[in-house]
Amino acid sequence: MSVGILILIVLCIGIAGFVLGRQRALSRAAAEGRRLHSLPSYYGQSVLLFATVPALLLLGGWLLVQPMAIEGRAAAHITQADIPEGSSHDLVMADVRRIAGGLAALKAQGNLSDDDLARMRADLTDIRGRLASAGIAVGDTVKPNVFEAAKALAAAQTLSHMLMTVAVLAASAIGAAIAFLRIRPEARARNVVEQFILALLIGSSMVAILTTAGIVLSLLFETIHFFQIYPAREFFLSLTWNPQFRGGSELGIWPLLWGTLYISFIALLVSVPIGLLAAIYLSEYAGKKLRAFAKPAIEILAGIPTIVYGLFALITVGPMLRDWIAQPMGFGESSSSVLTAGLVMGIMLIPFVSSLSDDIINAVPQAMRDGSYGLGANQSETIRQVILPAALPGVVGAVLLAASRAIGETMIVVMGAGAAARLNLNPFEAMTTITVKIVSQLTGDTEFASPETLVAFALGLTLFVFTLGLNVLALYIVRKYREQYE
Amino acid sequence: MNDMRIVERTVDANKAKMTARGVQVYYGATHALKDVSVDILDNTVTAFIGPSGCGKSTFLRCLNRMNDTVAIARVTGEIRLDGEDIYDKRVDPVQLRARVGMVFQKPNPFPKSIYDNVAYGPRIHGLARTKAELDQIVETSLRKAAIWNEVKDRLAAPGTGLSGGQQQRLCIARAIATSPEVLLMDEPCSALDPIATAQVEELIDELRSQFSVVIVTHSMQQAARVSQRTAFFHLGNLVEYGETGQIFTNPKDPRTESYITGRIG
Amino acid sequence: MTDATASVHGSLFQADARTRRRRAAETRFRAYGLGAVILSVLALVFLLSSVLGNGTGAFRQSVIRLEITLDPAIVAPKGTDPEALAKVTTIGYGRLLDQEVIAELTAKGIDTAGMSAKDISAMLSKEAAADLRRMVLADPSLIGQTITFDAFANGRIDGYFKGRVTMESAALDSNVSPAQLLLAERMRDAGLLRLAFNPGFLTAPDASELRPEVAGLGVAILGSAYMMMIVLVLALPLGVAASIYLEEFAPKNKLTDLIEVNISNLAAVPSIVFGILGLAIFINFAGLPQSAPIVGGLVLTLMTLPTIIISTRAALKAVPPSIRDAALGVGASKMQAIFHHVLPLAMPGILTGTIIGLAQALGETAPLLLIGMVAFVRDFPAAPPEGFFDPASALPVQVYNWTTRADPAFMERASGAIIVLLVFLVAMNAVAIVLRRRFERRW
Repeated sequence: MSVGILILIVLCIGIAGFVLGRQRALSRAAAEGRRLHSLPSYYGQSVLLFATVPALLLLGGWLLVQPMAIEGRAAAHITQADIPEGSSHDLVMADVRRIAGGLAALKAQGNLSDDDLARMRADLTDIRGRLASAGIAVGDTVKPNVFEAAKALAAAQTLSHMLMTVAVLAASAIGAAIAFLRIRPEARARNVVEQFILALLIGSSMVAILTTAGIVLSLLFETIHFFQIYPAREFFLSLTWNPQFRGGSELGIWPLLWGTLYISFIALLVSVPIGLLAAIYLSEYAGKKLRAFAKPAIEILAGIPTIVYGLFALITVGPMLRDWIAQPMGFGESSSSVLTAGLVMGIMLIPFVSSLSDDIINAVPQAMRDGSYGLGANQSETIRQVILPAALPGVVGAVLLAASRAIGETMIVVMGAGAAARLNLNPFEAMTTITVKIVSQLTGDTEFASPETLVAFALGLTLFVFTLGLNVLALYIVRKYREQYE
Repeated sequence: MNDMRIVERTVDANKAKMTARGVQVYYGATHALKDVSVDILDNTVTAFIGPSGCGKSTFLRCLNRMNDTVAIARVTGEIRLDGEDIYDKRVDPVQLRARVGMVFQKPNPFPKSIYDNVAYGPRIHGLARTKAELDQIVETSLRKAAIWNEVKDRLAAPGTGLSGGQQQRLCIARAIATSPEVLLMDEPCSALDPIATAQVEELIDELRSQFSVVIVTHSMQQAARVSQRTAFFHLGNLVEYGETGQIFTNPKDPRTESYITGRIG
Repeated sequence: MTDATASVHGSLFQADARTRRRRAAETRFRAYGLGAVILSVLALVFLLSSVLGNGTGAFRQSVIRLEITLDPAIVAPKGTDPEALAKVTTIGYGRLLDQEVIAELTAKGIDTAGMSAKDISAMLSKEAAADLRRMVLADPSLIGQTITFDAFANGRIDGYFKGRVTMESAALDSNVSPAQLLLAERMRDAGLLRLAFNPGFLTAPDASELRPEVAGLGVAILGSAYMMMIVLVLALPLGVAASIYLEEFAPKNKLTDLIEVNISNLAAVPSIVFGILGLAIFINFAGLPQSAPIVGGLVLTLMTLPTIIISTRAALKAVPPSIRDAALGVGASKMQAIFHHVLPLAMPGILTGTIIGLAQALGETAPLLLIGMVAFVRDFPAAPPEGFFDPASALPVQVYNWTTRADPAFMERASGAIIVLLVFLVAMNAVAIVLRRRFERRW
């Protein structure tokens, strides 16, 4: 029975429970000649909630945990000898999963009975051929142990799926029954339903905490892993970044950190003056018409996904900088460069800076402006000498937030900055950043447990700590600033 | 109204500093001020009184073109300062406001040091060539505003840290630092406690010797205490304008009398 | 200073030197501001025009129109039952196509001197024969008939008509020769080859490195749609529930403070960190499959939640307390007051925020790279919910994927995919704006 149908059945039980529960409440009230404590539909709702929510939670949890629980058993069949030279346990397990999927598909087609399966032996049957007929291509001959593992996995999956179906349906039925039997005219159905809903609301708001915990734990756990196989000293102090496929990598963070900060700096250099001046012009000078046109136009920049900026850097800005400036003046030959990424990221951050600055400038009270105009200051003097100093903390907060965005930005640097880890000052050179390396180390073909892959988690943790620090600081400053004028 | 000591006040026969003729103000579609004509005399405190929304603050803001900063405001008629029309195309409001200073209802010191607050006007208008001159202007202004003794040891402290009455006197010091000829005050005491109010009122009386002062006030007692001439506004009209003593003891218009005796307001 | 007054100030009608200087400074400052605004708007125009200009070509493709007689001897040598038809490989269809092209060229009197049959057949897409075969398999009644078939031209030939490939570059290229380009020109002049609208760009799956002309967004659009479904189904209820609790019920204590801090910080965590979370928790720990929309959807849900919570809370806050008081006053419970009165009134604001959150999620790329969605996927995922666990791609990831390929034809397709992505985003934002306009309420 597929998951979709299972969900549908649970929902049907719930709806049936709602109708029956409502009827039962009405009929019992009539029979006993008493008034219901709550509206009849609340009795129905209580059955509905008890029938569906626990069952669906069970289903979701089961689906999440199932692969983890049963793969362990299948993995026990694999011995060290089954892992070919140059491969890894993970890759073999991926094969096991594929074969198990193929076996399940064969069974579903009716081409394979349970008895057949029990008799199938890797060394005797043409497993490749049979799997191919089910649309599963297997690389080379299947080793006996691998096949046994796949058989065990397929069996466990079938069993688990059956158990899950039974358990979910049982949970739904039992929940419905309990709620149904508790229906009496004097039962406080509304309170029960409301308590239940409140619990759901509280549970939902916990997701934020769980997410943060998940981020911190997953980063921390794998980072510790990384530092067990690679010296932390090297990571934090080495000036070279040079990962190797066959060990002996140098994984110093400094070249990446330098690239990140350099690009972010250029991005801020572009976005802060333009964003701030644009915000000032639009809020203090611009006429209605210009504002009605320019403000949304700048906001559109904020709604454009970063992949679009990345493509812009890759196909337009990069080649333009190279052909018009870098090559003629002899600065470099690369179209991906610090300047390309920085410029494009700067454009991306303009609306961010300008909308934050706009809020901040508008928070400066009108009395302050009046005071300045009353003394005979003109608009620019008022802005530069009264409004901006008054808004300074807020603007600093906005710049910090923008910096945190720049440091964490990924696609623009992946597509615009290049992949070469360098400690260099030339902005026309390709350099790389922490985020670029997280992507390249985690999407590469290296084994998961190698330092070359795990370093991505250490980089991720560094990035997380950096941006979190900037955000907390910025939010604190902005909040203090707001309080000043409230 | 028993504390009004007005009767025996002498009024100097001063020349007119500002003259307004047929001033009309519109806020969008609202006709906020209707055909007002007033002479503001030199070295005199002129009080504008009247119920809320009568147009007295609006008129005050016409005198240094602060209404220019309100996008929907439109002013017609003629206002002259020393015979020159301040709404003339050639006039830069910036230059005008250096000569017609303004103090606002709520004390609004800038978030800067006390010194920088006072020095702000002289700096933008270039009134001091050297640091010593600027120091001098700051000190004189603070002295004239009767706050020097309270702040002379903490000129570098932020102006926002002062008490309400001190802040308002700081704002007065800031306004007189540009050596204006006319000082406009828009309900300068409405946000202050009685003691601070008394201090500011005393100060206003002293300022009269050097400036022409125009004060908008809600309180008839205050108008009676500090002013030599009083204008009564009602529903956008200037109802009556004359010597303070005459307005309070012998008003000609029945509306003025109703207001003075507390029947409208 | 009394004595100074009259003498210091000159006439109001004459601006002194200092005032003129100050006016100039004012004008300059204004100009800087205006310049910044213009620069930002220009950046937007430049960005959009560059992407749009590069991408429109992807929607039009060079096709060669052929009249093909589906000779049963070639396409159905062993009868027309499906089993037998499936045994005929693409190679057989390829030969049929080659014959037809040459026949067509001779019929139109186009000079093919100096070109081998192999050169001529190489001008067709490598996928053309497979297309034809699929057509026949889908409708065996065509066998024996003469049909009109639009075969895609090879990507390089297509590039020549779009200005990407020139005679000079072709001379250096092992995949195309100047002679082929000249022939293609003659074919175009004879009306045999033309640029036609290519619906396959929106519906076909991705294609391999060597056949950019048939690469499409079908799997990516479906994958993105699946993920949006998951995000909507999970993030909207979770976000609204969390907001209702925090805004209406939560007592002021350490726990709710912690939740609040968490939400505001999660909103600013770099998206790639969410990708690491997805990889570590959903794939490595929970064992969910790589490249699957379910994992992408879960990651994007977690990313979108803060946005939805923040806008939902704003919408709830905008409902005046008098509404709650009125409901409580007639004896409703707090829960009833919120679900019957406050929530419906806040709904437009909540939906607007949700759509904007979805639009953000739709364009998000970095976290999806880490959970393996960048893999080459040619098979369409099954129908949901099972299909949520099948490998799929996503629109923005497909863009990235195409930019990493060597053939510049994929660059054009990446820009084309961006246009599709932007059209979806514009549509979503338009819905949000209409919702806001229509239901905006002033209290």
